[in-house]
Amino acid sequence: MGSRLLNKIGLFFGALVLVSPAILFFLWMISLSLKFEIDNGAYPPILIPERFAWSNYAKVFEENNFLLYMWNSVLVTGTATLLALLIGVPAGYGIARLKAERSAIVIMIARMTPGLSYLIPLFLLFQWLGILGTLWPQIIIHLVVTVPIVVWVMIGYFETTPMELEEAANIDGASSWQVFRLVALPIAKPGIVVAFILSIIFSWNNFVFGVVLASRETRTLPVAVYNMLSYEQVSWGPLAAAALVVTLPVLVLTMFAQRQIVAGLTAGAVKGG
Amino acid sequence: MASVTINNVQKAFGNAKIIHDVSVDIADGEFVILVGPSGCGKSTLLRMIAGLETISAGKIAIGEHTVNNLRARDRNIAMVFQNYALYPHMTVADNMGFALRIKKADPADTASRVKRAASILGLEKLLDRYPRQLSGGQRQRVAMGRAIVRDPQVFLFDEPLSNLDAKLRVQMRGEIKALHQRLGTTTIYVTHDQIEAMTMADKIVVLHDGLVEQIGAPLDLYDRPANLFVAGFIGSPAMNFIHGHVEEGIFRSAGGLTLPLPEGIQPAEAAGRELVYGIRPEHIRATGQGLSGTVTLMEATGSEIFATVDCGGEVISCLFRERLALKQGEAVRIEIDRASAHLFDARTGQRI
Repeated sequence: MGSRLLNKIGLFFGALVLVSPAILFFLWMISLSLKFEIDNGAYPPILIPERFAWSNYAKVFEENNFLLYMWNSVLVTGTATLLALLIGVPAGYGIARLKAERSAIVIMIARMTPGLSYLIPLFLLFQWLGILGTLWPQIIIHLVVTVPIVVWVMIGYFETTPMELEEAANIDGASSWQVFRLVALPIAKPGIVVAFILSIIFSWNNFVFGVVLASRETRTLPVAVYNMLSYEQVSWGPLAAAALVVTLPVLVLTMFAQRQIVAGLTAGAVKGG
Repeated sequence: MASVTINNVQKAFGNAKIIHDVSVDIADGEFVILVGPSGCGKSTLLRMIAGLETISAGKIAIGEHTVNNLRARDRNIAMVFQNYALYPHMTVADNMGFALRIKKADPADTASRVKRAASILGLEKLLDRYPRQLSGGQRQRVAMGRAIVRDPQVFLFDEPLSNLDAKLRVQMRGEIKALHQRLGTTTIYVTHDQIEAMTMADKIVVLHDGLVEQIGAPLDLYDRPANLFVAGFIGSPAMNFIHGHVEEGIFRSAGGLTLPLPEGIQPAEAAGRELVYGIRPEHIRATGQGLSGTVTLMEATGSEIFATVDCGGEVISCLFRERLALKQGEAVRIEIDRASAHLFDARTGQRI
């Protein structure tokens, strides 16, 4: 009994040590966002201030047209992710079933190439197309990030679905498209959720594309936060508050969507599966 | 329902030839079992009939129609997979009705057919469950239900019982056989288990290394195996094989043991060749006459006694139906039933 308790305590401390960098970083950010500038610069550092500076959050929304930027981010990330799913899920299925590893590697190379190298040619292209003032350039260039993620997650997922299920559907009279839509796709739902979350996170946090392609009206959130840094001074409170506001939607979405990733959805399909 | 004709069929994956040249005629309504050790090509042959593998050469016909170039979904066959292959995101009822849904059948008609199949298999209470909520035996039944609902021309079974425990296997064996008698649908069944083959089939096809070794009714294969492979494969415990030759009208083993010639064998036709003498353990009796030997192993199961007897260097397994007070190391005399003994040519393996 005693050793079991000891084990539990040990496990707890082990977990604490492992997650503490992430947790402390978050705690400090929350603390910064709730302190006035005088407390933020204080030494020794203050974790919990006597007076909370809620005004930091108000400032974020007042000064920077933050709601517009958030809406921009939602449009860019949302459209880029939906398009990526639309293209990437069938592509992943096709690559997995045809064992077309080489095309998968080509897609991987697109992901590995530094995004900046696309920027200049694409910038010229967008200029020529006359869509620079809109959100479309950012949506299109975010596909460079989102499509490979979706394709690669889905390849891995479709490769693990038992082939017999699709053969059974084939024998039951289903066409290739019906096999995909009625059997492969529903089974791959957890994989689609994973691809969706990863795609959202990478697209939401993308900074470089926005800095180059966004004008004042088409900024996304990471760019907006960056623009809060001015030359004269860094106001840590509002900056931390803004950063938290940027992080929050992705955090909430991840926690919500995680429930959809039900492990062992394929349990019972095949013996031992 | 339909007959199935397999004509000089071959299958190769690259340079590896899996099926060399197989021809089998399956009559309408027949229950045929393809049996053989793993790697003999039986599952590949079944998948070729199903349309899941291409046919490298030869012809497969279902009914009147050659199906070589017909897609699996157009062949009107149903298949039960070894691992059941139930759709995990669908209920039992949806699993069973899937093929009809694809055909855009009337939902009411689908429901009634699913219900009828469920009542045949005792699945009425499970129709709303998901596959993960079922036991192995129930999943097996759902897989069969999915096949029944379609009322196909041919049922294909790919080792459907190998994932079940021994007791359930015996039960399902009976159920599949009863189902076949009730529906009368042509059935092709693949197994590596010769007991399954013996108990269920109208006709057994023994495959080995991509070739048909013998085709026949279960008892024909048992009584008159065409060659050494079939003789050793069918029957459990396996047949005793003793190498030797015929000399002066009797069989003399390499170790000097003499055995009476099987009934119906003329000494002249057997003389002068390398031979293998085959006798099943159950065709040996301890009568107090015949060969003398020493008991080296003795296992009593209650209904029978399995023993191995060392007769001058040849170890012979015996299966006695009567309760004998045998002990390990004891001397015993065993008599071979000449009517049930076989002689094979050692070089070709063919029965004489």
